[in-house]
Amino acid sequence: MSEDELPSYVKESYLTRLTELSNALEQNNHDRANQLIGELTTLRESSLFQELGKLTREIHESINAFSDDDRVAELASEEIPDAKERLGFIVSKTDDAAHRTIANAEQTVDFVNAFNERASDLNQRWKQFTTQQMSKADFLALSDDIGEFLNSIEGESTQVKSKMTDIMMAQDYQDLTGQMIKQVTNMVQEIEEKLVRLVAITGSRISEVQEKDERKDGTMAHGPQLPTADKAEVATNQDEVDDLLASLGF
Amino acid sequence: MNKDMKILIVDDFSTMRRIIKNLLRDLGFNDTTEADDGQTALPLLKSGKFDFLVTDWNMPGMDGLTLLKTVRADENLKDLPVLMVTAEAKREQIVEAAQAGVNGYVVKPFTAVTLKEKIEKIFERLEG
Repeated sequence: MSEDELPSYVKESYLTRLTELSNALEQNNHDRANQLIGELTTLRESSLFQELGKLTREIHESINAFSDDDRVAELASEEIPDAKERLGFIVSKTDDAAHRTIANAEQTVDFVNAFNERASDLNQRWKQFTTQQMSKADFLALSDDIGEFLNSIEGESTQVKSKMTDIMMAQDYQDLTGQMIKQVTNMVQEIEEKLVRLVAITGSRISEVQEKDERKDGTMAHGPQLPTADKAEVATNQDEVDDLLASLGF
Repeated sequence: MNKDMKILIVDDFSTMRRIIKNLLRDLGFNDTTEADDGQTALPLLKSGKFDFLVTDWNMPGMDGLTLLKTVRADENLKDLPVLMVTAEAKREQIVEAAQAGVNGYVVKPFTAVTLKEKIEKIFERLEG
């Protein structure tokens, strides 16, 4: 028996009444005929209601099964708040790393600038000495300064080295945040699957995603573009920006 | 190009402000001030006699494009050179910024060389 076929008792009721209706019509018994047509209509409606009831029960059971799914409760109560925390951590971790790196770089640049100034001064004076344009007193001063310079390079280059090491160490954020981003991505994927199931249960079709952004004049900020962005819409590097501006007379 | 000019750097990320500030210092510009969005930048611009504005686009409060438009509409500020340094890279946005009167446009991530070239180009054109 296919699913579309009527249950046998319903079929029986239809057939009995149809035979009787045919007889009533042949005998011109209009009252009886009308009564039978009324009964047939009622029968039709009640089977519709039965079908509807069955469908409602199925939907109800599916939704119950969905809400009984422990994962959904877990996602909502634990993993989504957890993901928000992770993303917050990523923001602060990358912020720390960037500041730590910049601070070390700034200090290193200061050291190097100081080396550079002193070296160029000593170099100047050394040239005077090699071309024998220097008094004995000046030479003694130069000799002292060179000694002091070498000493300070020894000490300060150790500091530069430790700053460089710290810059390298500050990059450890990539490993940590990378792992966290993967965890969040996995969770988002799971939520996506659950949502697709929910949509399937309610029987709605996924409609075409509407373009929500009506500010098409370019004034809305969109944030960084992915490298896979559409080249017709997005300038993916500085050269393309320059070309576009040049075409506007820049 | 006057190396003593006063420059206002506007970006909501302090790391980016710091990077731009350092790059500008390497180029010889030491007189820089920072603001974290258009709303805090505007009163500074109005009272501070700045010679050059470097601004991000996407910021809370007042964004960079609104700041640019506000500057161009202000009688005392309308000639201030403005360089936009932003991750916004949609073609329609670049056109919009150009129409609003931006003097230069640098997309993030950018290099020190790009920043230097764009600044030089802006002042060459203004002085030439």
